Amino acid sequence: MRNRVLSYALLAVFAAGLLDGCSSGSGNEAPAAAGAASADAGKQVTLKIGIFDRGNAPAGYTATDNYWTDYVQKNFGDPNHIKVEFVPIPRTDATDKVNVMMTSGDAPDIVFASTNVLTPYSYAKDGGLLPLDSLIDQYGPNLKKYLGSALDVGKVDGVQYSIPGRRVNTGKYENLIRKDWLDKLGLPMPQTTEQVYETLKAFKEKDPGQTGGKVIPLGLSLTPASFEPIVWSFIQDGLTDEQRYTLSENLGYPLLLPGHKDALKFLNKLYNEGLVSPDFALDKDEKQVFQDVMNGKVGMFSDNLGNAYMDNPGIAKVLTQNVPGANLVPVDPYTNNAGKHLKPEYDPTGFFLMVPASSKRGAEAIKYLDWMAKPDVLLTLMNGIEGEDYTLVDGLPQRTQSEETAKRMFNSNDIVMITQGEDFGSNEKNWAAAAAIAPEQFRQYVIDAYKMSLTDTTRYANFTTPIEAENKYMPALRDKYDQLIVKSVIAKPADFDKVYDDLLKDYMASGGGAIIKERTEAYKAMAK
Amino acid sequence: MKQSWLYFLRNWQLYILLLGPVAYFLIFKYGPMYGILIAFQDFNLFKGVMGSPWVGFDVFREVFGMSAFYKALRNTFMLNLADLLFSFPAPILLALLLNEITRVRFKKWAQTILYLPHFLSWVIIGGIMLQVFATNTGIVNLLLGHLGIDPIPFLTDKYNWLITYLVVGVWQSAGWGTIIYLAAITGINSELYEAAAMDGAGRFRKMRSITLPGIRPTIVVLLILKIGEIVQISFDRPYVIGNVSVLDFSEVISTFVYKTGVQTANFSLATAVGLFQAVVGIILLLAANRIAKKITGNGVF
Repeated sequence: MRNRVLSYALLAVFAAGLLDGCSSGSGNEAPAAAGAASADAGKQVTLKIGIFDRGNAPAGYTATDNYWTDYVQKNFGDPNHIKVEFVPIPRTDATDKVNVMMTSGDAPDIVFASTNVLTPYSYAKDGGLLPLDSLIDQYGPNLKKYLGSALDVGKVDGVQYSIPGRRVNTGKYENLIRKDWLDKLGLPMPQTTEQVYETLKAFKEKDPGQTGGKVIPLGLSLTPASFEPIVWSFIQDGLTDEQRYTLSENLGYPLLLPGHKDALKFLNKLYNEGLVSPDFALDKDEKQVFQDVMNGKVGMFSDNLGNAYMDNPGIAKVLTQNVPGANLVPVDPYTNNAGKHLKPEYDPTGFFLMVPASSKRGAEAIKYLDWMAKPDVLLTLMNGIEGEDYTLVDGLPQRTQSEETAKRMFNSNDIVMITQGEDFGSNEKNWAAAAAIAPEQFRQYVIDAYKMSLTDTTRYANFTTPIEAENKYMPALRDKYDQLIVKSVIAKPADFDKVYDDLLKDYMASGGGAIIKERTEAYKAMAK
Repeated sequence: MKQSWLYFLRNWQLYILLLGPVAYFLIFKYGPMYGILIAFQDFNLFKGVMGSPWVGFDVFREVFGMSAFYKALRNTFMLNLADLLFSFPAPILLALLLNEITRVRFKKWAQTILYLPHFLSWVIIGGIMLQVFATNTGIVNLLLGHLGIDPIPFLTDKYNWLITYLVVGVWQSAGWGTIIYLAAITGINSELYEAAAMDGAGRFRKMRSITLPGIRPTIVVLLILKIGEIVQISFDRPYVIGNVSVLDFSEVISTFVYKTGVQTANFSLATAVGLFQAVVGIILLLAANRIAKKITGNGVF
């Protein structure tokens, strides 16, 4: 009897646990297209919006509670009876974190993870996203006008599953060099890859920065920003469309394009001659390389466009404080076999904004983005309050250099999720506008860097329909590619060929081959 | 039947007390186990366990066809075996040594210092390790540099990395591990020591013939538990200490599951690997227990 009672009790508890699990699983399926639940009814509803948390909020602010979140609540939320709640998405692990949010049904009503079209594709394929076509027609006139044809990129099989943000400046990287070191050694600005090598050697031998043997002629980290500018410059001239489409993959690694091996061989030479950061493989977030640059140890390095001159992390600014006379200038020296400065360029799209299928606030989400797309709202969100945070000079906002402004604007680029950068009508104006955010003494450099970032560029060759194999293999291949870079760069020169070829074979066997196959088929279908 | 009912009635308070822990295990340990089902499904995270299609053993076939899986499995065994070899005896030795310290104050103080690393999270240890062992900027290599020795790539060469991994593991866990052995040592009858002293045994003799046999059951139990865990590996230690250049050694099952499961959102595959891990773990545990029982007469169950 005792056993009977006990086992019934246990069974009951167990079953409760099971049921609980089931119901939460099926709850996700609940059709949520009823997103049109109108807010006009006067009852306040809550709209959850994802926001990147870069861990850089100034004292008194957080990524989810700051000047702009208050502004959004006051100017968008209150008039529409919507309580706006911002949900932090850590920038560094955004994709993982969003995966978990989507799985557990905790994703905010507007969610985004990356600028990679695969992200919305894989969710849409599993039925996790809300179709937005009719909602945009109904609630998003400004949004439609602002994004224009870019919206098409967010379609999967003709259905609008995501809203691609715009990207105004499509330049990707900048290369920087210590001009004061060149001047000290009487060297010219390097114009070719060969000259770069000579310059780096001179930096190493003559140590113009008097670092006491700690000089790092070329600063490297294990990030695309460090490697892509150099590696792409080795890719041979005159690629056919077929090569571009069939031999690349979604992340844009030029691994299979002719010239890639030469690039790594070059880096291998630099590494073995002690010309690059020896521990670059441990530097996955550029922190070490930035540190070295700011301490005046680095002669040359590459970085994401515009980053070096901005207030945050303030690389050039801190360097000039630490090393009087230091002069970090942009340069575009790497050349391929035809003497061109080949480099990659962004697609004109930014982050892909999505609404989870389980969301009941689809209409409010579109309303929010539509509100943001209004020209005056956009101008304010990006530049602050006229007179307080910026002044207009020739129609371009010039940022005020005040502590309050720097504090207030720390995440305004993340708040305006529908665009990366502001469009003033022409490249020159856009560059000048981008430069106006930087401290005054660097503004010309920023303009130069933006200009250089667009010479001889190539776009990543991506199909309008996603490649299934990429969806499956890309995350694993990302590691494989990193591994290939690290191992072939740090190999002994005599072993280089073997190490490289083995790793390439491994890459192809781990999914690289499957991607090529599917891409070749897709290319044939497209060329027809 | 009647008797056991009476027995229950007499001790009902105890059963009520038991209810809490039992409920805890059922809800938090057994309840979530239904998730194992997704190892046999083509899991769609928006449809959930009830809505995803069943695929039988296809996922396991896929797992066993992946070369990355075998590599992760091999590394898991390798790191754990090496750990067993180095990290397992370390606390025993340390406990024996601590036990010989006669000045109570010094002993307490030494113990506290030895415990401390245990309370640091691996993320912090990983950060410290970078500062200490980096090839270019690490303090160890800077010191070696002053002695005219070329820098040693502690973190980027896979064999050096393995040693670093083990040494840091010992540093982190040895002190904490002594607690249980010291407790066991306290339980040894002090008359044995007195008798041995009368027979003229020195310190080492006492250590070997009294202390060690005295804590043997403890050692065996802990060893069995360790062997049962040999396919399990914590996530943070290899993930934080590892880096791309030593991926040949640092990619273990837990990091593999994280990368395929969370990053690729391939939950079926990750679950299948986890289930496999659990099955192998329980087989090893049973085997180790049986062997230990045969050899020493002590076992966990």
